[in-house]
Amino acid sequence: MINFIARRIIQTLIVISVLSVVVYYLMSLMPGDPVDMMVASNPKITAEDVIRLKSLYGLDQPIYKRYSRWMETTLKGDLGYSRTYRVPVEELMAPRLWNTFILSFLALFLSILVAIPLGVLSALKPNSRIDTFVSFLSFGGISIPSFWLAIVLIILFAVKLPILPAGGTQTIGLGEVGLWAELLDRAKYLVLPVLSLSIQQIGRFSRFTRSAMSEAMRHDFIRTARAKGLSSQSVIWQHGFRNALIPLITIITVSVSSLFSGALLTETVFAYQGVGKLVYDSIIGNDYNVAMISFLISVGSVLIMNLVADIAYGFADPRIAYK
Amino acid sequence: MLKFISKFTTSFIALNVIASGSVAATNAELKIGISQEFETMNPLIMSMSASTYMARMVGRTLVTMDADGKWIPQLAKEIPSLEKGSAKIVGLGSKKKLSALWEIIDNAKWGDGKPVICQDFITAHTIAISDTVTVAEKEQWTQVEKIEIDPKNPKKCRFIYEKAKWDFYQLGQFSPVPTHIEKAIFEKYGKEKEGYEKNSNYVRSPLNSGLYNGPYVISEVKLGSHVSFSPNKYFYGIQPKIQKIIVKLIPNTGTLEANLRSGTIDMISVVGLDLDQAISFEKKARAEGLPFTFHFVPSVTYEHIDLNLDNPILKDVKVRKALVLSMNREDLVTALFDNKQQAAIHNISPKDTWFTKDPKYVTLYPYSKHSAGKLLDEAGWKMGKDGFRSKSDQRLSLLFQTTAGNKTRELVQVYLQNKWKQIGIEVIIKNEPARVFFGDTMTHRKFSGLAMFAWVSSPESNPRSTFSSTAIPTQKNGWSGQNFMGWKNSSVDQALDKLNLEFNPKKRFELVGNTLKYYTEEVPALPLFYRSDISVTPHNLKNYKMTGHQYFETNNVEDWTLN
Repeated sequence: MINFIARRIIQTLIVISVLSVVVYYLMSLMPGDPVDMMVASNPKITAEDVIRLKSLYGLDQPIYKRYSRWMETTLKGDLGYSRTYRVPVEELMAPRLWNTFILSFLALFLSILVAIPLGVLSALKPNSRIDTFVSFLSFGGISIPSFWLAIVLIILFAVKLPILPAGGTQTIGLGEVGLWAELLDRAKYLVLPVLSLSIQQIGRFSRFTRSAMSEAMRHDFIRTARAKGLSSQSVIWQHGFRNALIPLITIITVSVSSLFSGALLTETVFAYQGVGKLVYDSIIGNDYNVAMISFLISVGSVLIMNLVADIAYGFADPRIAYK
Repeated sequence: MLKFISKFTTSFIALNVIASGSVAATNAELKIGISQEFETMNPLIMSMSASTYMARMVGRTLVTMDADGKWIPQLAKEIPSLEKGSAKIVGLGSKKKLSALWEIIDNAKWGDGKPVICQDFITAHTIAISDTVTVAEKEQWTQVEKIEIDPKNPKKCRFIYEKAKWDFYQLGQFSPVPTHIEKAIFEKYGKEKEGYEKNSNYVRSPLNSGLYNGPYVISEVKLGSHVSFSPNKYFYGIQPKIQKIIVKLIPNTGTLEANLRSGTIDMISVVGLDLDQAISFEKKARAEGLPFTFHFVPSVTYEHIDLNLDNPILKDVKVRKALVLSMNREDLVTALFDNKQQAAIHNISPKDTWFTKDPKYVTLYPYSKHSAGKLLDEAGWKMGKDGFRSKSDQRLSLLFQTTAGNKTRELVQVYLQNKWKQIGIEVIIKNEPARVFFGDTMTHRKFSGLAMFAWVSSPESNPRSTFSSTAIPTQKNGWSGQNFMGWKNSSVDQALDKLNLEFNPKKRFELVGNTLKYYTEEVPALPLFYRSDISVTPHNLKNYKMTGHQYFETNNVEDWTLN
């Protein structure tokens, strides 16, 4: 097991290194650098300014030199400096990453909490009214565009029924109010974004759960378990659900790894101070340092969640060996 | 567990009842919504509009431009001039320099009570001209060769300008930085590339009130979220009436309206709504009787279409004139903008004192489909059965480009495409993301026909970088310059060269007029409209005056009141 994890971590590091070269190169191929963009919007910038700024930003250097320098400083623990916001990358990204983490994991937690029972219920009573109702909700959730849902939620709960804030991360200038009040305040700002993110996920997860559970409940061992006189709860959860877990682990771990970038629209609409929009803006604005660190986190989370999935498969099904 | 849930729910509802809902803004707090990102507020380095908007609340400069487009002293007691003798031309021949005596107002202080002195300008100048600091427009700093402090008065100093230019006093961006706070940082890190800006107190401790000399100081800042401002008790002018201002970033312009309606913000700043959203919101607000005032103020931003004069079709001035004659700009601004933006006749906006429509200088092109068709006939472009003109089997077809996804520009494109079709010109639209359009297509002059975009300028600004033949981007000059049209006119070049050195306002106006004469006669670009700046304020906000230029209305934020 330890060997397996160590091997996978080494593989992960190699993949990240190789991909970082590719991504850095691809970013350099994008037309226009930050100075070009500055020139096109400001008639007061002179030719001398252009030369000076390109030299200062290192944009006059060949791509391999720029990459080597970036890699060297990153390995030393210096994540660089955002040229857009003019602050060190770690200071810019750390609080936003934390905010995105809270939002994404709450949304995921809520989705799993609601979707799995719904999916199981639906699978256990196929073609019943409950199944039709859950299927309707699931397809509705999957089909509704998240940005549209977000705006509807704002209009409903912030404008028409003003019980929740329209956007933000926490009340500005709340001051020293104590942990409890601060938590409540944060919670208030999280309700709508979490709902907006969850509704779509609930739809997807419940469909997957229904499908996996229906498949599992058709197996012979379920009939055997029932014949042995096991309680229905034991048959459903210990035998049926455990066997339905493999596809669910896959879809949930894939979802976790995509949450980093997936919250972009929700964060933008709710003015939530997360990392999604920062990543988008850094790529568009050629803010290399921010974009590259975002990329590392994104690739890292995909690879780590794959590893988590592989480990979880073994727990769900002991027949899967770590070799 | 149940107790926990019950406590949580009760507290949650209680908090909502207290905190939610739209309440009329008072002088206790004003929440302003912006839709553009902001950076740290180091006045020497920042370049984003949203940062400039906020920087005017906390920082003041020697001079500024008022809402009428006039230069007025701010930190300075008065603007030096040749007439008053406080400025004089020194040196001889081409080495002529200018010397001007500036005096800082007596009670100008930093937020920590230390006086603003000439040394603060020297520190700013030293930092800004350093090779390791990424100041964008360096010329405004390097034009000052030396600053000499009066040994008897630290608030009095003589600026020596490297050239004797009439606009020497226009130092609107020439901000002081507090020597007692920033000098040590520059001395320690100034030799490293970008070392100063990474370690400046504007980045490391932005809540240090000593960094600011405006009516407010920053009390809280979260990049990507908001900035809070509280009054600066050492401000030299009147104390601000509003006790707390919060500028909140709402990146999605579509939700600005909902945020305003819900009371999350009290007003939408000039860096907020798009025009179409503002027009639509204004109609709804009127119908519903919402307590907001909508401001549409013509700005100095000039929306236009650059023509690539290397294109064989566009080389012919008759074709260019036919294009401008058939545009019907008056109808365009009525149909698309509800007359909230003004049709343009040339690059200088009516906000600018250099604006003129005197026929002596400006050729006007009132809409005339007939005249446009006649010009095309004269140029040899004959109307075909398919409704398009051609010459020697070549169709009169032009490529029209702009930034993809910009709704206003795309609407204008469709409108113009239809107008030009009516006179037999085929226009093919090929838009690109802003990044490709500005970062490659324009800077490398890759557009083959028409390119629509805007120039953000300032009043009385020399258009040398966009009109001079030396500013045509080529491989040879490293693609520098912004004369994307490829317009060459030696008379214009000469007029622009003389313009900076002409101290007589009448002669200066004459030089500008001559430039406009060639610009409107030769039509290297098609003027469209002057953009309007837009903001939405609560009905009870008084003394709020939008400017329409880069010296935003926050320049007189201390006068705003919500009673």
